[in-house]
Amino acid sequence: MRLKAIGVVVLPTITAAVAWTVVGCSVQRYDSMGSSSLRSTIAPASIGRSGGIGGQPRGSELLPPQSLPCSDDELWVIPRQPQDRAAPRSTEPMPGQGQLMARRKEGDGQKLVPVPLKRTDVQASVIGYIATVDVKQQYHNPYNDKIEALYVFPLPQNAAVNEFLMTVGQRRIRGIIRERREAEAIYREAKGQGYVASLLTQERPNVFTQAVANIEPGKRIDIDIRYFNTLDYRDGAYEFVFPMVVGPRFNPPGYSDGIGPVARGDYGASGQKTEIQYLRPEERSGHDISLSLNIDAGVPIENIDSRNHKVSINKRSPEKAEVALDPGDSIPNRDFVLRYQVAGKATKPTLFAQRQGNGGYFTLMLFPPALLDDLPRQPLEFVFTIDVSGSANAIMAQYFERISHPALTDIAVDWGSAQVHDVFPKQLPDLYVGRPVVLTGRFEGNLPRSITLRGKLAGREQRIEVPIRQADQRVETKALSAVWARMKIADLADRAAYENGIDPPGQIRQLALEHSLMTAYTAFIAVDSLTRTSGDHGATIAVPVPVPQGVRYDTTVQEAGTVRQAKDGAE
Amino acid sequence: MTRAPIILLPVLLLVLLGGALDDPHDSVATQPLMSSPRFAAVNVYIDPGGEPLAAYQFELTGQGAEVKLVGVEGGEHQAFADAPYYDPKANLRNRIIVAAFNTGENLPHRQTRVATVMVEVTGPVRWLASLDVAAAPDAKHTDAAISVSEGAVQ
Repeated sequence: MRLKAIGVVVLPTITAAVAWTVVGCSVQRYDSMGSSSLRSTIAPASIGRSGGIGGQPRGSELLPPQSLPCSDDELWVIPRQPQDRAAPRSTEPMPGQGQLMARRKEGDGQKLVPVPLKRTDVQASVIGYIATVDVKQQYHNPYNDKIEALYVFPLPQNAAVNEFLMTVGQRRIRGIIRERREAEAIYREAKGQGYVASLLTQERPNVFTQAVANIEPGKRIDIDIRYFNTLDYRDGAYEFVFPMVVGPRFNPPGYSDGIGPVARGDYGASGQKTEIQYLRPEERSGHDISLSLNIDAGVPIENIDSRNHKVSINKRSPEKAEVALDPGDSIPNRDFVLRYQVAGKATKPTLFAQRQGNGGYFTLMLFPPALLDDLPRQPLEFVFTIDVSGSANAIMAQYFERISHPALTDIAVDWGSAQVHDVFPKQLPDLYVGRPVVLTGRFEGNLPRSITLRGKLAGREQRIEVPIRQADQRVETKALSAVWARMKIADLADRAAYENGIDPPGQIRQLALEHSLMTAYTAFIAVDSLTRTSGDHGATIAVPVPVPQGVRYDTTVQEAGTVRQAKDGAE
Repeated sequence: MTRAPIILLPVLLLVLLGGALDDPHDSVATQPLMSSPRFAAVNVYIDPGGEPLAAYQFELTGQGAEVKLVGVEGGEHQAFADAPYYDPKANLRNRIIVAAFNTGENLPHRQTRVATVMVEVTGPVRWLASLDVAAAPDAKHTDAAISVSEGAVQ
């Protein structure tokens, strides 16, 4: 087999997109060196100070960078708006603004900013390598007028968001999956009529927006979200990842459908459809997070540790562990990453199946070896890649090192007597060090006790028996079907890039609605038709978040201060 | 309660939510003419006639109006207080099918509000509820009655 490295196309914008994936280092800001020929007007933003979802449009322009960063820099293109066109920071009074809204926290000199999101509780359980995660967001209204709360938050890239509940007082209302536009229209109507309502939409596969309308002063509304995902397996260890804050995103020049970083209160300043409001360095919010995780690995757990947070670990047995985030480490400004290894030099592949009706769903993870040592190099077909930014050197070097040592190529599955269909990904990738291959599919009837994997290692045929296990009864009934549907949707989206004659939005929408899954084309809506509040729906208050740890606020966040000053001076 | 029925009830729920229905146990409620979209809460009551109610499935129809499901809330009895499930495939065809089960021992024996269905309604509507199934803990069907009312809980 010949290996093909698909790399970076020599285009400044694509290069920037690759550089955007680099994490860490210092941040270089490019903000005012644009070519006028590449300028374009930004489309209306959907989230505004007074409009919330479907609010008033904002205008802006994006300016592309002209120079390139040094190799140690992370490239974020943060457009600065021309002063005569930038959306000014709202000068309208906020609900309850003044002494009631902002107060000093004793001791650290930081201003404590009340926000509509009080707390996030995360409870996760992992059986094998399948995670079921319940996220509870507690919204409240600390102001003296009614508000709509708006929160942009992250979830793992492969999260299959499947359940949505809204709790008003003691009453729990199950949200309904609907086509996104329809859900948005219902939400607007309910909000306008004064009903308590909530809407969950997806901006990116890993970025979501939660809107909660008509929260009365002093009232609390909880939102419960459940998702399933398969754990990452990297470099010989499982990784449970819970992202806590959305970092700034790269928005290509002329693009207005992105996610823009703005300062707290600067609604519409970025000109992007979705905005993340960041707290200033001297500010902090009362929003904190708790997280607990129960792991049942099925085999002895070894070397469990948290990369970024203090945690308490209680090993109930060699196979089980309870992990909890330290209460003193509850500021949501970096990803929670828990890594653990399991016993055995090489993790054996296992196929988990879950029966539904006359058939069911399955998932198979094929683990790679942890080290390159025992793997011979393979011949490569070269595709020259020119990275003009230089910022992705480390990533590309690691990438080429890995693909030059395949652990198993030309993988094929002999399903034996099993009636298997809709297996994703459609084309099985080769297995490389550090990255597993995950398959998921459907079956009819009964499955045999094992299946056979075939492949090549250094040109020699390999044959691996894979036992089939029924998924543990504690695994949520819908978990495997949700994981399967999520992978099918990802496959449809991929195929749309190179295949004609298919209708990815239509197929994705249909699949997502049937499986109650969040996608870009679907949304969860919940309306409490019994709770109609009086008066106007009030102001829309975004939940500001801290800038991710290691990120500089001043080089990242769009401030509209100069615009405001100029306007104030004119007045 | 034996283990077999406990296992059977979730299976029954899945089967029920995936299946179609026609049942004589219907109930009707009407509302005045409305032209613009409005939101309504439709309370659904089941009377199991003295038998313990462990599982149910009903279909709610709003005759004469465009009805969109926008939420489902649980009932008054502790056994059915959790928000019940709806059939997403049926919802794709604008059908509202709701079901729940409970494997515990504290079950309602008399009429109880099992769910409140939140809807957006356009046009004059006549509510019709049909009970697809009501089951006892042993998974046997019971001869229950269903009724509906719109508005605040009675």
